[in-house]
Amino acid sequence: MFCYMLDQLVRKLQRIPRTEFSTEIQLCRAVPPRIRFQGVQAARINRAVGQKTGVSVIRFNLNGRWIEDNKIDPNCTILKYLRTTMMQPDAKEGCAAGDCGACTLMLGEMTERGIEYRTLNACIALMANVHERYLLTPSGIGRAGQLHPAQQAMVDCHGSQCGFCTPGFVMSLANLYQQTGLHVRQSVLTDEQIHAALSGNLCRCTGYRPIIEAAHKMAALPACDVSEVSAHNGVQTFNPQSDVPADGSPAALQDVDGRRLFMPLTEEQLKALLRDYPDACLWAGGTDVGLEITQRFKQFDTIICLNRISTLARTQVLDEQLWLGAGVTYSQAEHELADLFPSFAQLLHRIGSRQIRNMGTLGGNIANASPIGDTPPAFLALNATLEIDGNHGRREVAINDFYLGYKQTVLQPGEYLRAIRINKLQSSESLTLHKISKRYDDDISAVMFALFMDVQNGIIKNARLACGGVAATPLRAQKTEQALIGQPFSENTFLQAANFIGQDYQPLSDVRASKEYRLQVTRNLLLKSYLELTAGQAGDAA
Amino acid sequence: MSHVSSKVTPWEARRQRPAKGKSGSKLAHESAEKHVLGTATYIDDMPELAGTLFAAVGKSTIAHGKILSLDLTAVRNAPGVVDVITLEDIPGEKDIGPVFKGDPIFADGVVEFHGQALFAVLAESFEQAKRAVLLAQVSYEEQPALLTIQNALQQNAFVRPAHSMQKGDAASAIAAAPIQMSGELYVKGQEHFYLEGQISYALPAEDGGIKLYCSSQHPTEVQKLVSEVLDLPINHVQVEVRRMGGGFGGKETQAAQWGCIASVFARRQNRPVKMRLDRQDDMVLTGKRHDFYNRYQLGIDENGKILGADIELAGFCGYSPDLSDAIVDRAMFHVDNAYDLNNARVIGHRCKTNTVSNTAYRGFGGPQGMIFAEAMLDDIARKVGKDPLDVRKANFYRDGGSTHYGQPVEDFFLPELVEQLEQDCDYRARRAAITEFNRTNRWKKRGLALTPVRFGISFTIQFLNQAGALVHIYTDGSIHLNHGGTEMGQGLFTKVAQVVAHEFDLDIDMIQASATATDKVPNTSPTAASSGSDLNGKAAQNACQILKSRLVQFAQQHYQVNAGDVRFINNHVVIGADENSAQWISFADFVTLAYQNRVSLSTTGYYATPKIHYNRDTASGRPFFYFAFGACCVEVEIDTLTGEYKVLRADILHDVGRSLNPAIDIGQIEGGFIQGMGWLTTEELLWDDKGRLQSNSAATYKIPTSVDIPAHFNVQLFDRANAEDTIYNSKAVGEPPFMHGIAVWCALRDAVASVADYTISPPLDTPATPERVLNAVMFCQQESKA
Repeated sequence: MFCYMLDQLVRKLQRIPRTEFSTEIQLCRAVPPRIRFQGVQAARINRAVGQKTGVSVIRFNLNGRWIEDNKIDPNCTILKYLRTTMMQPDAKEGCAAGDCGACTLMLGEMTERGIEYRTLNACIALMANVHERYLLTPSGIGRAGQLHPAQQAMVDCHGSQCGFCTPGFVMSLANLYQQTGLHVRQSVLTDEQIHAALSGNLCRCTGYRPIIEAAHKMAALPACDVSEVSAHNGVQTFNPQSDVPADGSPAALQDVDGRRLFMPLTEEQLKALLRDYPDACLWAGGTDVGLEITQRFKQFDTIICLNRISTLARTQVLDEQLWLGAGVTYSQAEHELADLFPSFAQLLHRIGSRQIRNMGTLGGNIANASPIGDTPPAFLALNATLEIDGNHGRREVAINDFYLGYKQTVLQPGEYLRAIRINKLQSSESLTLHKISKRYDDDISAVMFALFMDVQNGIIKNARLACGGVAATPLRAQKTEQALIGQPFSENTFLQAANFIGQDYQPLSDVRASKEYRLQVTRNLLLKSYLELTAGQAGDAA
Repeated sequence: MSHVSSKVTPWEARRQRPAKGKSGSKLAHESAEKHVLGTATYIDDMPELAGTLFAAVGKSTIAHGKILSLDLTAVRNAPGVVDVITLEDIPGEKDIGPVFKGDPIFADGVVEFHGQALFAVLAESFEQAKRAVLLAQVSYEEQPALLTIQNALQQNAFVRPAHSMQKGDAASAIAAAPIQMSGELYVKGQEHFYLEGQISYALPAEDGGIKLYCSSQHPTEVQKLVSEVLDLPINHVQVEVRRMGGGFGGKETQAAQWGCIASVFARRQNRPVKMRLDRQDDMVLTGKRHDFYNRYQLGIDENGKILGADIELAGFCGYSPDLSDAIVDRAMFHVDNAYDLNNARVIGHRCKTNTVSNTAYRGFGGPQGMIFAEAMLDDIARKVGKDPLDVRKANFYRDGGSTHYGQPVEDFFLPELVEQLEQDCDYRARRAAITEFNRTNRWKKRGLALTPVRFGISFTIQFLNQAGALVHIYTDGSIHLNHGGTEMGQGLFTKVAQVVAHEFDLDIDMIQASATATDKVPNTSPTAASSGSDLNGKAAQNACQILKSRLVQFAQQHYQVNAGDVRFINNHVVIGADENSAQWISFADFVTLAYQNRVSLSTTGYYATPKIHYNRDTASGRPFFYFAFGACCVEVEIDTLTGEYKVLRADILHDVGRSLNPAIDIGQIEGGFIQGMGWLTTEELLWDDKGRLQSNSAATYKIPTSVDIPAHFNVQLFDRANAEDTIYNSKAVGEPPFMHGIAVWCALRDAVASVADYTISPPLDTPATPERVLNAVMFCQQESKA
């Protein structure tokens, strides 16, 4: 998928004077148009988040310029920083909640394949996210006064009207362009790819048709590689494991007016920080906690950012199980689960938007303990095991025992969710998932329905049904399960079992649905699951 | 030779080809390149002047009741707070009701809706202001709140008196008809969800005045209200708006309050003040499209022809009149849509509720009336067992008829347009295929609907139908254009610039439109009622014609030629009758010559819509200069187990007269349709039983996303010149296509009706969320069992 090749990058970089990228220190000295804010005079900026020298400074590349600033409040979002401190208003605030996409930007990270980008909602992402990263904004992605193909296609196809959402659409399209390799070879995008890329961008004027047309047409325009923009003033050499101290509490990445943000790189560092700051706000993807800052105007004194801990961000396929780090993003999981749990991967396509999926994590979705998170019902149906670690040592908890009440879990201060383990499905087993919401993309479920079935010789050997949106926590439907287990795998069994839904769940009415609908649709989804499992009948699949 | 901008293409090159970008061409939006770069400047993007302060309002926490005490001590002492104001601190007029009074700038002793502004805070930062407003200590004596239309009707609570329109004798016609039927429909409102929230930036100006940048569709009204609030002559206030990030009616009256508050603070502190509503404040504090509760009684014949109709509409106005009188009127004007009701009585109620004051929204009540017409027609079709399209056709108006408000039906070519769409989209064959699909599928059902749109163009308040423009020609041939219309994405600036280019046969790049400003063109009307290009295009044309006549007169004298021998061609002025000997002078050289000969190169233009009149006392007249037509055919598929659905295909044929810019017009049609679809499908406003808005964010209020649009989405223009003398015989396009979204609702209802073999017309209030669709399916299942 990422066809950016290292050798190509190197060739491009060779056009840049060698001193500008050969070593870290030389980079710092040689890059001429460096912007320094608030008089940062540190001669040596530690490239691994400031641990060594204890310098609290954010350093990032904005449209090719390296910028350092040691006066950024840890609670400051990327959008606020750009629009106020930098006075660069090309990204817009439409909702300040990660729902509209007007603030979408591209965040690049150096990998062995070159700089890889993803989109994010700048309105709810903290500045810590851009540290040692490459940020691209709408006014910066063109080259030499030319519009980027995504921009040119939007102009050509009349893809903007009021123009306020447009910069965000442009960034989502430019990211799709880069990610699908259109800058190195022409290819044809599918509508599905386009919709997925645009799932977090709202437009109120155009009705999207011309924007989708622009997405198709950008492929045919002269190629443009945005990593050349990022690399304009030199890039970081790629060495992910350098400078990672084994343990101990690292220095704060940001330390302003008594508010601090830490960005540990290892779980040992995280544990040390949790000892020192047991009440710190744990910030994984930030797609939910970010709203505390932008919607409720809260300010956190201490934030521990989890998303640079590499051991939490990986998946491992074991013999019988799949091990998912708590820091695995939805976007990663979409990819990683596609083979073993295709229905789960399908569900992930509908969680949040592309921007949210790029930031939000599986662990965050579980530990957040919202009754309307979409993955907990699936993990409940799969009877997942949660690995918890922290100052009290490592322990394991079945997810069914994890939730204590509304927004309450067994996690103690000083603990963190480390990983989720799920058993691979056997040939007799299945996982059926349904998300019911008013809108197909980027909506919160009225009901999230997850059914695990083990059917052998026409008999239901085991069944686990879990739903979200029907109780104070994601919850198993035990009476319904009992009505299924041991019964013949037949329509009648499902119809009978559906009668128990009302005993298992007493949902509330709210802005998303009435309690009556939640119950009715949950009952109907049982039947729908049966129909899907038995037939794949044309016209009867979801 | 003076310097010529490198941006100006050499005139010799321009001579060789027709002028670019004139009216009728598919020119891109004038700001398209700035949009994609993010460099188009919205008010929040303007560099803030040193010393800028930020305002936020404190909101009530009850829906209705007396304010017993308002203790703002903690607010004043909060970090960063510079100033706090309440109603007592308003130096002039305290009520900013746009047409009728009733909108105090802050609650006047009594809270009338949950979230109503009680006071405002000024602080060093936006966040500090937002934190400070939460610290107010307010005590109330709570009173019962009216929260529904039904409640208001029962208690005769209205913001304005009811109005009725009549044609013939509806009661007798219904009684005498072979078939009587009745029905009702609750139509929910809609949040505008412009991507750019409400914002104003006020700067203290000379002599106690104000320069206000305001994201408003109606700068003149904001100017007037700011002057009243500050007790200033109007000429001390200037309001400017370059562009809005969407308006849709939501910035017609509702931008003023924030502009007024910012201006009061700016005067008090003598510092620049920005007031921006964040999304949640915007959704709570500003009005929306009105809900409507509509009821009908019909008398029809066996063929489904309407013989008489008694219709009662009731709009959910909120706590104050705002524009509700005209909005309910427009719903009444459009409850016939394209159909001859023969004998009709239409009553419209303006219900008062303890909710935010509802306001203009694309269609201005028209959609809520029109959907009811389509609901009636579908109900009739089920009653007489015919295809709804045939029943629609049978009831179409014919030229020579008249409406229930006495407007003669003229140039009614809608049947021809519908016929063409029916053929183009293969309606009959698809109807057959869908019937077969529904027969063979147990859980999935498909629906089809083809519905017309007939929308009246003109402000129904007659005096608003006027516009002014200002055109300057500079000596390099470049033209500065200004007019009273505002740019909110609809492409108005582009279209009016095309008119100017057309008049002088100049390339479009010679025309520069500038921000709408009350000191350039005064006493303007709101950019609303789809009238922007009709009014301002004509006003600009008028200005161009005045300038052209001066220039021609000058050329006659200077070159000693006849007026007919002075022509504007290919960016040049051609002097002389004979093609071979005619002299080609570049526009720049020509206007320089005119300038040197002391010809004024600047003028205003003006336009007032002819022919229109309406007597509200007799409820009759010709309120509309003309009608815009269109039709839309939609196919949907529903899941009868969950109520989920997908819009599979939409075909639209729409009448814009002779298009000023087909690309922009198609953009309006596509965007209007999807916005209308959102109104009737996923977008649901909800207040709880305390009057709190529950759908108060993008997380709880869902406008369509890209994946919701039909995979097959065909939009065509019906190319026929407007019979009326509009600008180049074009037609207005802003609102009419919104109502094509009604076809989605009708198609969903058609799919649901299939569950009962089309024998009943299922109840399906709007928006048709999956929940409502499932309920309708279950209704059909139960009814067909019974």
